[in-house]
Amino acid sequence: MTHASRSETPPILHVDRLAKQVQSGDRRLTILSDLALTVFPGESVAILGQSGAGKSTLLGLLAGLDTASDGELELFGESLAALDEDGRARLRAGRVGFVFQNFQLLPTLTALENVLLPLELSPQAGAEARARDWLERVGLGERLTHLPKQLSGGEQQRVALARAFVTGAELVFADEPTGNLDPATGERIIDTLFALNREAGTTLVLVTHDHALARRCDRCLRLESGRLVEMRHEEVSA
Amino acid sequence: MSRDALRLARLSARGLARDLRAADVRALFVALALAVAASTMIGFFLDRLDRGLTRQAGQLLGGDLVLEQGRPFDAELRETLETAGLTLSDQVDMVSMVNLGDAFQPASLKVVDDAYPHYGTALVDRGDGPERIASGPSPGEAWLAPRLALLLEAEVGDRVRVGEAELEVAGVIEREPDQSAGFGNFNPRLMMHRADLEATDLVQDGSRVEFEILAAGPPEALEGLAPLLDRLRRDGVEVRDVRRDRPGLGNALERAERYLSLAGLAAVLLAGVAVAMATRRYVDRHLDTAALLRCFGATQGELSRLFGLQLLWLALAASVVGALLGLAGQAALLGLLTAFLPLELPPPGLLPLGLGVLTALAVLVGFAGPTLLRLKRVSALKVLRRELDPLPASAWLVLGVASAVFGALLWLYSGDAGLALGLLLGGLVMLAALWGLGSLLLAAVLRLAGRLPRRAGQADLAQALRLGGAQLARRRTASLGQLLAFSVTFFAMAMIALVRGDLLTTWQQQLPEDTPNHFAINIQPGERDAFEAALAGAADSRSALYPMVRGRITAINGGSPREAVPAEARGDNALRRELNLTWRETLPEGNRLVAGAWFDELPAAEAAGWYDEVAAEPEVERVPISMEDGLAERFGLALGDTLTFTIGADEIVGELTSLRNLDWDSFRPNFYVIFPPGVLERFGHSYITAFHLDAGERELQRRLGREFPGVTLLNVDAILGQVRDLLTQVTRAVELVLAFVLLAGVSVLYAALTASRPVRAHESGLLRVFGAGNRLLSRVQGAEFAILGLASGLMGALLAELAGAALYVAWLDLAPRPHPWLWLVLPLGGALLIGAIGHLLSRGLRRQAPAASLGLLGET
Repeated sequence: MTHASRSETPPILHVDRLAKQVQSGDRRLTILSDLALTVFPGESVAILGQSGAGKSTLLGLLAGLDTASDGELELFGESLAALDEDGRARLRAGRVGFVFQNFQLLPTLTALENVLLPLELSPQAGAEARARDWLERVGLGERLTHLPKQLSGGEQQRVALARAFVTGAELVFADEPTGNLDPATGERIIDTLFALNREAGTTLVLVTHDHALARRCDRCLRLESGRLVEMRHEEVSA
Repeated sequence: MSRDALRLARLSARGLARDLRAADVRALFVALALAVAASTMIGFFLDRLDRGLTRQAGQLLGGDLVLEQGRPFDAELRETLETAGLTLSDQVDMVSMVNLGDAFQPASLKVVDDAYPHYGTALVDRGDGPERIASGPSPGEAWLAPRLALLLEAEVGDRVRVGEAELEVAGVIEREPDQSAGFGNFNPRLMMHRADLEATDLVQDGSRVEFEILAAGPPEALEGLAPLLDRLRRDGVEVRDVRRDRPGLGNALERAERYLSLAGLAAVLLAGVAVAMATRRYVDRHLDTAALLRCFGATQGELSRLFGLQLLWLALAASVVGALLGLAGQAALLGLLTAFLPLELPPPGLLPLGLGVLTALAVLVGFAGPTLLRLKRVSALKVLRRELDPLPASAWLVLGVASAVFGALLWLYSGDAGLALGLLLGGLVMLAALWGLGSLLLAAVLRLAGRLPRRAGQADLAQALRLGGAQLARRRTASLGQLLAFSVTFFAMAMIALVRGDLLTTWQQQLPEDTPNHFAINIQPGERDAFEAALAGAADSRSALYPMVRGRITAINGGSPREAVPAEARGDNALRRELNLTWRETLPEGNRLVAGAWFDELPAAEAAGWYDEVAAEPEVERVPISMEDGLAERFGLALGDTLTFTIGADEIVGELTSLRNLDWDSFRPNFYVIFPPGVLERFGHSYITAFHLDAGERELQRRLGREFPGVTLLNVDAILGQVRDLLTQVTRAVELVLAFVLLAGVSVLYAALTASRPVRAHESGLLRVFGAGNRLLSRVQGAEFAILGLASGLMGALLAELAGAALYVAWLDLAPRPHPWLWLVLPLGGALLIGAIGHLLSRGLRRQAPAASLGLLGET
């Protein structure tokens, strides 16, 4: 993660002149324009911004969940523009993990089954053992068979963390991971997230307006008028 | 690739196992199992009943296949039939004098062999009261009809003379196992063994003897004989086939079968509606799963296969459970019925089982398919933006696919493509109309709800109606869907109830209490008035007296009759035997003119021409005649065609001026051909009439016998009884099936309301937050359900009335009639039923804390 290694390793995520416009009634709204970003393997990057600045839109574009209006976007060295929806899905399979503000656990699945879900798409031997292992790492080894509604918000988010890392993802996107949690619980989630990230050597791109969370990332960027502006850590106020 | 398939199969099975925790999957399972249970139960039952009834019809006919001609059948034909798997019994029918001492009587001889009868038993009194015997008389013996015994004053043990042979009276035959002789021969019966035939010396060249082969065997055996039977018909052999010629009960049975399969289809339609409702919820719930899987890298194809397989497992599991239920259900149904069913039913076949599974898959594809496609189209971005649901499947696509599949099922079950297509198109048009009507109704509800008085502090009915109505109308799309689903449910339930009622009424009208059970024939013109006077007052109902003249059709349009008619009609009885002709000024009771005009409406000049002159100069005129429409159709005749009748030594040419439809099951004298008055009077004729006598009126019977020795009295109580028995059995089956369909309807309502529970829970949660008490909540929900039920009932009634009219004409051959009670019962019943189920389902919700209710729809 030193800056020296960057020039030698190809970026995991590279964005240039990225633009996104949406039609709203008869008006065309520009959400992102001429946006550039390069993320190298192992980095943790926080994207800050006001509510409605387009943070989630950007995250969707970076993860290939949505298509850009213009510009270049390369994920794992592949241009997303050249891939169709299914091609982008295949690119994500097993390599990209997600953490969501609203946890996105399936209500009819137990904690263990929720963690197993991404593994089942590209089955590997010992999937269940791995899922148990990751749940133990987030401190939920005793709650494997609990349904989401039997877990607290913090516990649900920890299940989501285990699910994001269990496939051995190279890149984890997190969308306001503490947004739905009280500050103390949020703090513990951040601790766990960074611990797992360090352990797995994963690249982390997170979108947040939680400054405490942002400050713990290697880099902080602010989304302003559709573009990303690099911030120094001390600029991120407490 | 196969590893990939295996992985998907495993993944889908695991997903389904986990999914069984969800209410919608359980509802889907129940609905599919119900569809299979309904179709297999009714299929099994119908299959067995059909085969049983066919057997009973076979009993009436004397066999599954009866061949008849005026000379003995050759060995080759017999061999062919036996090779095909049929068991044969030979029979000879003729009329001969029988005497006991000085008493002579013409009798209708029925000569049977050891194989007689194929089905059923004879009821014979051999001196110790009537007993059932599963064979004919032994060689050397004769069984006499009670009337013959009476006329000959014969008793068991006496010896009667038949031709050159002498036979011992071994019994009095009360009821024959088969009634194939019908009214063709009015002389009382004497039944004897084939072995004695030669000794009688009655079969000689020129004597009128009918030879019959009665064959019994499985339907498959008959199936393969079709070409042979066609050839025999062309050769002038009369062929009676149990599948085509069910004497006396054709219409009733056919309608009953159609009714039962209609009921089966209604149950399948209901299950389909439940599947459609449950699938919507299933898909809504799985959109998140699909989006997440997209996020984790699943392709569209993988998603389709995953969910498709998941539902396939579900359908297969439901099929197994449904088939078992269906099997148990039909066994229970038959168990209940055996007490009333003298019928012996064959064991269930495998075909209905296959049809059941096929039905489940078809219902799944048809009613769930298009909705499921939504899952495939879900965007991965939905994980970030929840509102990003794929567009709901187009209502037209859902409707179109469901209709197409249902139409195909309709075709499969009815075997009538035209009808299936017609019903389908009509159904679609009606659904479109219902959609519009439903929208209007909801808009009206919203407006009306807004106008209800708002008096502060009074949690009265108006407030409940206002809030409930508004809730319903504002949830427009969901409510419209439910409204349509419930309308179709009520429609299906109403149709089945309605058709049942009309079917039974028709049957009852067809054979009322006082249906004539006696025929009197051979009443001489001189006895006519005296006979009528003797009957007056004693018989509670009787038909008119019809003159009867025997005549043979000897030419059609101037040419040979056998050349003029279609090949398959060459063996027709009406060509082979003398017909009973009558004349009449007015259209007989129970006859309906279907083409042409009755004699009194023919142009006056023509009428004047034949009324007076024909009698004097019959050869110069063509006489107008009226023919039964069925015979005209069989012979390929139309108005204007001419028929030449030979009566005695004279010929009369008649021109078809009208066609009549008549009910052969009516137990009244019916005639193929009717002449106008003034033509046949000069020929020798006698009169026929039918009347009803109660069982107790034996005295009158004896008096008639004494006073009119030449008049033949025929008691048809036995035949009437058999037809009545059959109708009773079928009626019970119809009632049971109706109960099942109603039950299926209620479970659809239950499934649909269960599926809509989360949304309602959320709304009542909100109302609770705003301070609504249990009482108000209960009333608001009650009002909402009641309005929904009322509106669905109204629309269901409309649909049933329209579809009923179409169905009656096209399928059941009944005259359409309005059903005012539908418009009262369906809306009120709907409001009560949906209100009650809804109330029951939301009882739990009202007890819940609002947070929990709201949580039901929450993010996690």
